[in-house]
Amino acid sequence: MMAWLSDNGLLLGLAVLDGLASAASIFMVAVGLNLVFGVLRILNVAHGSLYAIGAYTAASITLFLTSHGLPVWLSFPALVVAAALVGVILGPLIERVLLKRVEKQEPVLQLLVTFALFMILEDVQKLIWGVQPVSNDTPMRLLGTIDVPFGADVIPFTAYQLFVLPGIALFTLVGLAWFMRRTLTGRVIVAVTTDREAATSQGIDSAKITMLTFTFGAMLAALGGALASPMSSMVPGVGASTIVLSFAVVATAGLGQVEGAAIAAVMIGLGRSIAVYLEPELEVVVPYLIMVLVLLVRPQGLFGVTETRRI
Amino acid sequence: MLRLEKVSVDIAGAPVLRGVDLVVPPGARVALIGRNGAGKTTTLRTLMGLLPARGGISIDGQPCTDAPAHRRAALGIGYAPEERRLFGSFTVLENLRLPAEVLKLPEAELKRRLEMVFGLLPELREFGPRKAAGLSGGQGKMVALGRALMVGTRAVLLDEPFQGLAPALALRYAEALGRLRALLPDVALLITESSPDLLRGLVEQTFVIERGEIQPAAA
Repeated sequence: MMAWLSDNGLLLGLAVLDGLASAASIFMVAVGLNLVFGVLRILNVAHGSLYAIGAYTAASITLFLTSHGLPVWLSFPALVVAAALVGVILGPLIERVLLKRVEKQEPVLQLLVTFALFMILEDVQKLIWGVQPVSNDTPMRLLGTIDVPFGADVIPFTAYQLFVLPGIALFTLVGLAWFMRRTLTGRVIVAVTTDREAATSQGIDSAKITMLTFTFGAMLAALGGALASPMSSMVPGVGASTIVLSFAVVATAGLGQVEGAAIAAVMIGLGRSIAVYLEPELEVVVPYLIMVLVLLVRPQGLFGVTETRRI
Repeated sequence: MLRLEKVSVDIAGAPVLRGVDLVVPPGARVALIGRNGAGKTTTLRTLMGLLPARGGISIDGQPCTDAPAHRRAALGIGYAPEERRLFGSFTVLENLRLPAEVLKLPEAELKRRLEMVFGLLPELREFGPRKAAGLSGGQGKMVALGRALMVGTRAVLLDEPFQGLAPALALRYAEALGRLRALLPDVALLITESSPDLLRGLVEQTFVIERGEIQPAAA
């Protein structure tokens, strides 16, 4: 074991740091997906497209800023602005025009509708941003690298991945937990998620809350994409791989879990990243292996609550 | 005054209410008695705007057949469903406060109503910090009644409140409803039950519903 660690320690260290950064991005997409499922009871396959559009939009805004001679530090707020724009424009549009119309339909139809939306949004991305890789590394280059000591070695790692991404994810986690528990809007969202009819009877405009939550969920997906955009180039299909990973996180954590989603995202992010460095051919399999193993032991997910039904 | 005029409701294509006429005057204590599946719960859910209905529904003369369901609380209608439907992850106090907070009642008014509810159902003060998910069925019914009273300034609709209550709790619940008459004389009560015996002494008017129709002779 010690010999293995001394041989692979550096790689493992890189994998851990990479995995945490990747977990931070997946967490935001997964928690948004969870929120949306909670209020709408629709598994939104197109959620990954919002991640991709958030990433592309962030890249476009940064390109606009740099090509117009504006200060480069603006590329940081641009990440958040991109997410807000995508959420505010696409969120209400998708919810009102499409999902609201199918919210009382069979789950199969709902799934087909969101899949169709995913296909449409994939084509929209290709129409706007083309099929060539798009990069947005300005924020990462601006912050440079930091030498992280790992045993006898030192790993140079980007400050963006080390601090900015996990920092924002942590802020999102704590902020969201606080928002849901301590604010009236948060409690109202929880009420609608728990029991829509009971919430309506208490005077809650469930339709308005659903749209608001969907918009917020869309924003989180777009923020996940925007924050991930400086780390890797965007190519067509990035939305598909993201949504599948997010499903794995949500299923592992259990539906409706915010803190649980964070832990599951770290498990899956680390698992995937360690596989990339140590056994690359397992990269694709590991997240789903973790999910399957968890679901075999706890079908409701690690932190999910079993629903009891009176008969 | 709650008024249903020739109200019909279909659920999954099957008629559940057929031309129901029902009037609940201000301060009246009215029972709606019927067997399982007769349409009692559907009548209350229709009054709450939770089901699409044909016919006329009005609250204090204000037509609201097509008004959004969430507006009922603002119109002063409180509703305690048969299965309580509390928010399990909230404390009892949060459950009680929620409808009043949603209506943006001033804190002083909210506290006044809370004290009124605690006066009527003293055990709720003790339950306050507990999670609603941890309550027994009977305790949950008490909380559901308290929650309905937080916004029910005109009428409170109680769906089979005695269903599944232990005898001691049923007695306390009935006592609370009895005290309600003195405490809130202008608030109408519409209570559904499968047996009229449970409501003896609590209501002054009883309607019987059968296969979605109010029986004329029993009114």
